[in-house]
Amino acid sequence: MAKKAKSRTVMVRLLSMAMTGYFRSMMRPRQHRPLSMLKYDPIVRKKVLFLEQKRGGK
Amino acid sequence: MDIRPQHVQLATALPKRLLDFFRKYPPPALTQGLSAAETHASAPPAASLDTPALASSTSSADPNAPTIETPSAALAERPYRNPFQPTKNFATGKWNSPVFGLRRQADIVKLAQKHGVVDLLPYTIKLPGEREKRRIERGLRVKGTGVGERVKGKAWERTLKGRLEERRNAMLAMPQMIEDWKQRGHGRGWKKWPK
Repeated sequence: MAKKAKSRTVMVRLLSMAMTGYFRSMMRPRQHRPLSMLKYDPIVRKKVLFLEQKRGGK
Repeated sequence: MDIRPQHVQLATALPKRLLDFFRKYPPPALTQGLSAAETHASAPPAASLDTPALASSTSSADPNAPTIETPSAALAERPYRNPFQPTKNFATGKWNSPVFGLRRQADIVKLAQKHGVVDLLPYTIKLPGEREKRRIERGLRVKGTGVGERVKGKAWERTLKGRLEERRNAMLAMPQMIEDWKQRGHGRGWKKWPK
């Protein structure tokens, strides 16, 4: 049986680098490089760096 | 010997429930006094005096007197076991529940109070004034805060200090991290992705 086709996009999790455990979920094209951006972390109440979490193999 | 008539009088006045209780669990003060007398005199006359005066007084009226005497004699030999308190079985290492639950303890204490024989009962938390005494002893202390006591706390409470420290260090390193990130083309050359 043929495998199900992979979707063009993937949901990724961007973790706050302030180590608060706060994260944001975003969608990006599968072939795109990992996302990273400056976003507001409400726990430390500052704009901090958010980096994409490595996706673990299921 | 001079207290015996009093006990006879008591025995006739007490309700059956209290009498049964004292028959099965003679007051420790009386049994201890007897065992001491036995050890001092070590003579048969002392043993002929029935262990608890109450039991003897009732036994005089009862036809089944010898059946009462045998357990009391056995009780005098064995160490006294408070039926109101849990006991530890040293063979198995397990705790046995009290013979009487707290509700029945309170019942018996109330009954004994009514008939003025509270002093003959073994120790129980239900004795009058006992609760107040404990309250004064312990005060309003919070469990786990005394000497040698520890509060385990929830997992988030136990790890809170470490997590706050980690967050603080991360925030101290944040400006430098953002600077590096900008220099590497906003993540284009970034290698250290979090797991």
